[in-house]
Amino acid sequence: MRKEGPVAVGFIVGLVVIIVTYFSAKPLVAIKGELDQWYLIATAFAVAVGLVNLVQIHMRKIQHKREGWGYSIVLIAGIAGFLLFGLTVSSAGDPKFQWMYNTTIVPMNATMYSILVFYIASAAYRAFRIRTGEAAVLLVAAVIVMLGRVTIGEMISPMLPKWTSWIMNVPNTAGMRAITIGATLGGISQALRVLIGIERGHLGGVE
Amino acid sequence: MGFWEKAQQVDRRIIYTLMIITLAVAMIKPVGLAISVNKETQMAYDAIEKLPAGSIVWLGCDFSAGGMPELIPTLQSVMIQGFRKNLRFVAGGMWNMAGNMAEVAWTAVQPMFPGKKYGVDFVNVGYKAGGNVLLEKMVSDAHTAFVGVDHYGKPLKDLPLMNEFKSFKDIKFIFGFFTGTPGERDYIKFVGGPLGVPIASSCVAVSVPETMPFVQSGQLVGLVGGMRGAAEYEVLVKVPGRATAGMDAQAFAHLLIIAFIVIGNLGYVFTKGKSGKTT
Repeated sequence: MRKEGPVAVGFIVGLVVIIVTYFSAKPLVAIKGELDQWYLIATAFAVAVGLVNLVQIHMRKIQHKREGWGYSIVLIAGIAGFLLFGLTVSSAGDPKFQWMYNTTIVPMNATMYSILVFYIASAAYRAFRIRTGEAAVLLVAAVIVMLGRVTIGEMISPMLPKWTSWIMNVPNTAGMRAITIGATLGGISQALRVLIGIERGHLGGVE
Repeated sequence: MGFWEKAQQVDRRIIYTLMIITLAVAMIKPVGLAISVNKETQMAYDAIEKLPAGSIVWLGCDFSAGGMPELIPTLQSVMIQGFRKNLRFVAGGMWNMAGNMAEVAWTAVQPMFPGKKYGVDFVNVGYKAGGNVLLEKMVSDAHTAFVGVDHYGKPLKDLPLMNEFKSFKDIKFIFGFFTGTPGERDYIKFVGGPLGVPIASSCVAVSVPETMPFVQSGQLVGLVGGMRGAAEYEVLVKVPGRATAGMDAQAFAHLLIIAFIVIGNLGYVFTKGKSGKTT
């Protein structure tokens, strides 16, 4: 019963959501609206659980002085600072909160993203070697797109943007569409497995 | 070790140093290379141009600070284009920086249009939790989905624009700014498909390949891809900004990467069989 109960609840709830998606059965629409509210509340609780878990892990790391424990102190201080400060202001738009956010999270987030340019440059140099015919095709396509997507490409040859456009619109789109359809079909089958109780990994424990 | 063997094993610190020098020089002393407009960017621009004055446009700010250099210039350009046409905007999103991103754009654009007022021509509802469920809620009842307040904690009922925006059924267009998930796929599934609201996307360059199929299928009516797309949009609204300035840096950075790829491959070809080590 420990697992059958959640599976039964999941099946009924899933069925309601599917029916409402395809047919506007009025009584079920109201139930779906209520379920959406529950989902939002559960999501908020999931954040709280994640927060507690994160704090526990890093507190243990600090306690046992494991490698990188200094970073854990920074993380705990950051969480505590934002939490305490956040609770004292009226909204996320509060100027003080904005200032704190804009002077910490924003530059750190931007920095993390912008250093990718260095890794990409280094990785491209090391990875793009014409070892096989396929690698040669990949390299040629990459160079055309890299040049065709920047202004200097047009100066080198007016054909480069056209070739870039063709690569993006024909082989790229065909490949992406195949991946998307394949992934979606996989998602549907996985959802069905969860719905009818074949897949029970999310309930925890060993299947 | 010979020259061509060394060419295969250039120290990453040399690559990093040359990259930073290239970017810095191009940013400090831009050449000002001409920018032509891509078909997908033009489609997005034209779609906004066709909207009647007074239309409400949703600006989906579903990105974080990492996407700012590529997406903020487009967001600002769309607002400039829209305010010229007397469109009205409601901005918000499912990413926790949504409110901040909208705030950055409004703060930059509003001084260019002193007549445009917060609450009348623009509202920032900020970040709202819920992902797909939020979008579904917004289709039926946006005020409940937004829990009744904007990014600054002001009640939505006190903002005149929000009295005309009760749900996504009241909007004429969605312009989304995306760096990942939730993103354009969610808007297509939960809003564009069911309601038939046209959607245009501005995404970071790495997301362009996976977004292209939606342009071809007509589920997106336009696509502004990466910093290049943002620069093109700045060209279209005739207000050159940071994206235009960044294009030179991007162009020379690409050239540098290609130069290293060529050097590495020449080294590989000339030393084939002698040294296979590339790391």
